[in-house]
Parts: sequence; structure tokens; C-alpha cells
Amino acid sequence: MSAGAAPRVLVAAIGHPDRGDDGAGPAVARRLKPHLPADVRLIESNGDMLALIDEWVGCAAAILIDASAPGRNPGRIRCLDLVSRRLPAEFARNSTHAFGLAETVELARALGQLPPRLVVYLVEGERFDTGAPLSPAVAAIVGKVTEKILAELPDICRRAKMSADSDA
Amino acid sequence: MATKTVTVDYIARVEGESALRFDIRDGVVENVRLSIFEPPRFFEALLRGRRFEEVLDIVARICGICPVAYQMSGVAAIENLLGIEVDPQIHALRRLLYCGEWIESHSLHIAMLHAPDFLGYPDGMAMAADHGDAVRRALALKKAGNELLRLLGGREIHPVNVRVGGFYRVPSNAELAPVAESLKRAHDFAVATLRWAATFPFPDCTRDYEFVALRHPDEYPMNGGRIVSSLGLDIAAADYQDAFVEHQVPHSTALHSTLKRRGGYLVGALARYALNRDRLPADLQALADEAGLDPVCRNPFQSILVRAVEVIYACGEALRLIAEYERPARPFVSVEPRAGIGYGCTEAPRGMLYHRYETDSDGTIVEARIVPPTSQNQGTIEEDLRQVAMAGLDLDDEQLKANCEQSIRNHDPCISCAAHFLTLDVHRS
Repeated sequence: MSAGAAPRVLVAAIGHPDRGDDGAGPAVARRLKPHLPADVRLIESNGDMLALIDEWVGCAAAILIDASAPGRNPGRIRCLDLVSRRLPAEFARNSTHAFGLAETVELARALGQLPPRLVVYLVEGERFDTGAPLSPAVAAIVGKVTEKILAELPDICRRAKMSADSDA
Repeated sequence: MATKTVTVDYIARVEGESALRFDIRDGVVENVRLSIFEPPRFFEALLRGRRFEEVLDIVARICGICPVAYQMSGVAAIENLLGIEVDPQIHALRRLLYCGEWIESHSLHIAMLHAPDFLGYPDGMAMAADHGDAVRRALALKKAGNELLRLLGGREIHPVNVRVGGFYRVPSNAELAPVAESLKRAHDFAVATLRWAATFPFPDCTRDYEFVALRHPDEYPMNGGRIVSSLGLDIAAADYQDAFVEHQVPHSTALHSTLKRRGGYLVGALARYALNRDRLPADLQALADEAGLDPVCRNPFQSILVRAVEVIYACGEALRLIAEYERPARPFVSVEPRAGIGYGCTEAPRGMLYHRYETDSDGTIVEARIVPPTSQNQGTIEEDLRQVAMAGLDLDDEQLKANCEQSIRNHDPCISCAAHFLTLDVHRS
């Protein structure tokens, strides 16, 4: 990476650390932080999802980590490619007060502002109570999600560098 | 006799959960009911027994779109109760914070929630493919508003930096400088947004509203002023309960509000503009004229233009406030609890927001009363719906439902605040 250039790989941990399993993303971020290459930018987001578009514009790749609503398998990890497919409706946010991740991704797609590579790791939560810690099932897989992302990053960073070099 | 019932089970692109139902019997629209089924949230009750210092962080949680409004009316009421006058620069910072909320709330509503109605799209995402520049401008405006909230409020949603007597921390001029650069660009985007919205097809509609808004001696109203109306009401916030009454209706978990002896009224952007246009800068009045706005606009569909005017105003006002800012020597004044009653009324993006608190001598909240703008507008929205439905009797049900939903979005209701969304049933006979 040339001096002063913005990192071309973004890792965004979505969720609130004090809302039970909504803190899965931030918990993974804490584990990732000491191990990330210099050309990877790590952010945490628990506010305005639309602001994510500005964060990933210009990036060659973005990895998102978020909690998904409770189902039958708390702690289940799903990795979805959001460039080739929409976030399934079952993961759309059921809120009228703010735009969720699904709306944000689709808005960016309509605006031509998706990064070339965009994946989301979804961790199925069990409880989202205010002030609660991670549930045992989710706490148990934080390390596994971290390892998966760290294993994937070298290839993503190499492709991002190739992309930057070809742009230059 | 044939009866047809029109229902919309869940109104999209508004904040909160509600439904709409009305009957068409022999060519007459009857029983219009904007049913708010969002569960009651009991904020007034859960404030009782809390310390006065806790109020602002609690009321900010009422709404993710307009938390600043709740903090501003709350802090005005508590400081009124305690007899505190804040430093003029603290007042300026609070107005600057409110500008941020107006910019982000109005910009989101204009582009993502309301414009699709005029342009025939199901939502903002579908519209973005064809109107990308407009959506990108809205996102940039929202970002500028967010920057103000983050700097002055500590974070974008549910800010935490406002306290009774001032702020926990006040920004330096150097911290405000980059925000001013964003606001300069945002101001240009806001002007472009008004010109874009002015090209929309607006249905003919004239409503005989009694407009109610704050009026300040010098300022376009945000943080204070007297409560005035287009029919001569002119009272202090302390006299609110003498003039207004809330009552329950069976089909809504939100209280309806009326003017005693007069009935329904309208708060919000249309009302603010009608009663305070002369407080806008002359160049902005000229832009409003150019966009086709009358000095008093009684067509609710044109509220989108008024919001666009207010976004321009908020950007310009924020720039003025930053240019004149001098960091206060102290971020807050110390306060001591006392027994009393305090009143606060400010202009949320959706309209006038009233708070009243009573404390005992150690500062514990004994009584709290909060009257949000959507609660005040519910009856008037139902009357709008009746008129829009009457004008659309010959339409098929889907178009009639679409017109009705649009007419609700004219007022950018925040139903979560009022209860504290919308299903539409049409019954024809």
C-alpha cells in the first residue's frame, strides 16, 4: 500500500456490545484487531447502517460481521456473498426506525456503490437483552469466526493489492 | 345499499406501526380510522421516581429518528423548572444540534420515504436506480446531519452529551471546522433537492388547517418561542394545558390531541412555514417562491417542498452558528434540585413537542407529560384521509390505497413516538 492511501479492505463489525448476542460482531472485532494487516481497516457500527456505504466506497473488498435473529441453531455461522445475491428476506431488519443491512446493501447496489467483493458473516443469536453478555452458544463460536476471517484475509488483501496496482 | 371497506394492514415508509381502515357507503367515506397498534410505551410512567438528571438520556430513547427533539424539549422543561438561563453559546450549540437532526430527518424522509410516492416507485431502493443523484445527495445530507450529532451529541443515534445546565463537553472551533466544510456542500445539495422536488406532480388539495407552531421573536423556531396558531392562539408553553386536551380513541394506542373548543389542528413543517416564513432569510424565501410554494401552503402534498426549504435553512443556520461560535468558558452551569413544575416546547422535525415535569424537593420526578407531534396530528391526518378518499372514489382499490398512504406520509408521522404503522382496509357499500 502506498503511503497515505486508504486501506482497500474493510472489516465492519455490526452490533452493540451491550445487547446480548448483538455483540457478536464487536466480540469478533476485538479478537481480530491485534492480528489485522495494515491494509485492513476495522470499524464497529451500531448506529446508522446507511453510513456503511460511505465506509466501503473505494474498497476492493468488505467483510461484515453481524448477528442474525434467533432461529433453531444459536451460534450457527453463515457466510453470504452479497455481490452475487441479495440478503435473504429472513435476515432483513424488522424495523421502521432505521434502514437495516439488507436495505443498505440494496440501496448501494442500486447506486452502483457495492465494493467488488462483499461478504457477510452472520452469527445466529439467541438473546438480545439490554446489558446481557453473549449467550454461551454465541460466545463459543467467536473464535471460530475470527479464525475464518483471518484465514480468508491474505487472499482478499492480495486481490485488493492487485486491483489497486491495475488501477494505478 | 353497497358497502366497501378499504384496509391497509401495514403502512410502509413511516416510523412505527399502524393500519388504516375506512368504509365507502353510497359514495360517502365514513369511519376513517388511523389505527395505531404499536404497543403503549409508558415513558411518562417510567420517568416517575427517576432523578431529573436522568430525564434527558431516558427521553432520547423514545425515538431513533428525533432523539434530539426529546432532549431539547426535556432540557427546556427541566431548566424552566430550576430557573436556569444557559450561556448564549450553549443555546447556540443546542440550536446547532437541532439543525443536525432536522437535516438528517427531513433528508431521509424527502428522498427515501416520500419522493417514491410522487415518482411511482415502491420504495427508495427501487427509486435509487433511476434517481441516483437525488439519493446520493440525500445520503450526503444525512451524513452532514450525522456529523453534527456525533460531534455535539456524542453519537449519531440517541445522543448522550446534553445535560441539564449545558453539555457534558463542548466542541472546539477546530473540531467544528470540518463539519462546516461538509455543511457547505450539504447546502448546495439541499438547494438541488428543493429544485428536484419542485418538479414532482402535486395533486390538487386544499385543507383548511388551523396551523400551530412555535414563534420566536428573532429565529425560525427550533428551541423555543410562544405557541401560536393561524386562528390567533398566542400562549406560553406553561399555558399549553389550558388550550390543548388529549383524549383516547378506541382504535389507537396513541392519544389524540385537540384544541379546546376548536378541535383538530396541524403541527409540523407546513405549520412552521405558514407561521414563520418571515423568519427565513430573504434568499430562501425567494427559493421557496421559485419552487412554487405559496407563503401559506395548505396543500399537504407540498409539505415535501417545505421540508426541503427547512433543510436548506438548517444547513445555512448551522453554518452561521459555527461561524459565530465562541467556545464557552464552562460547558455547563451547576444545578440544584428543587420542587416545582417546568414546561418545555420545541420544534421536532415533525412538529411541536411539549414536555412538562414536576419534581419534589430532592429532584425526583413526580409527574411527567410528553405530547409528541404525531399524537397531535392524528385527528387531522384522519380528516386528510377522508378528503383524499372522497376525491378518489372512482379509483381502483390499489390506487386508492396508494393515495391514502401518500397522504399519511405527507405528515411524516412518527408513530412509535406517538404510541407511542399502517394496515388499510377499504369497505365499500
